[in-house]
Amino acid sequence: MVLLIIQLAIIVIVMVLIVLWGFYFPYPSPLVRRWLSPRKRWPEKQIRTWLKDGRFQRAFLNHFYSDPERMAPPGNSILAPADGLVTSADIRGGVRYLVIGLSFWDMHVQRSPASGRVLSVQSHGGDFMDGEGREFAFLREKSCPVHKRVVVATDDGQVAVRLITSLAARRIETWVREGDEIDRGQRIGRILLGSTVVLELPATTNLLVRMGDRVWAGETAVAESLTSP
Amino acid sequence: MNGFLWTFGHLGWGIFAVLVFSGLWLLLSDLCWRLLAICIGRLLALLAIGWMLGIGCIVFGFYMAG
Repeated sequence: MVLLIIQLAIIVIVMVLIVLWGFYFPYPSPLVRRWLSPRKRWPEKQIRTWLKDGRFQRAFLNHFYSDPERMAPPGNSILAPADGLVTSADIRGGVRYLVIGLSFWDMHVQRSPASGRVLSVQSHGGDFMDGEGREFAFLREKSCPVHKRVVVATDDGQVAVRLITSLAARRIETWVREGDEIDRGQRIGRILLGSTVVLELPATTNLLVRMGDRVWAGETAVAESLTSP
Repeated sequence: MNGFLWTFGHLGWGIFAVLVFSGLWLLLSDLCWRLLAICIGRLLALLAIGWMLGIGCIVFGFYMAG
């Protein structure tokens, strides 16, 4: 009798595991999530359903809001302001726009590319499509980007970081104010469910990254210092 | 199949092993599908072969032990 109970208990456990698997399928069940990379743990399709419903798995939110410490490399090179992939580095009007595309699985805290003083924190976009939004539509084929632009004056010139998100998400936090002195690699803000960060540099700046490269905020040198020839 | 399905007041070890093995194999298959970058047809074939080998081993072991 004891053996029968043990056997049935084991079979019930296996059945519960299978029901759990079937309940979450095609997405991974909680049993296997821990062994998967974030991209497979929370597939994009699943995240988009959460976006519609406004409900998210707590583990995903913990991952999304993670804010690990970063160690800036020595020197005066310009650092990546965000985690993600370099999607373009076009020059327009004497400014080089280094565009970094963020995925759902990237860390979403942005960091200062250089030390200096915050000249301004400007907000653009919002409930309506303004001129700035239209102008920057080329960045990721967005018709109505909402963004904030943080301009930093360094000893050798001026750089700016644009935090861009869609009209649907429309949530950007900036943690620096005009007049603040900030360090290289310091946290400057966060885009909630955001997708693009643009670093504006003088057109003459020598880049250290190319399109398709993966960069990490506050750690990857993306350009030589502004004083470099 | 004497003793395979039922024996001395509890499930036969044969059917018990088949049920547990099949359930765990299904879960393992799901994990492999998610972890490995492999053509789905090939993966299914490999998993089916693995399952048949496992069941074969269980049945063979059961009769050898008996």
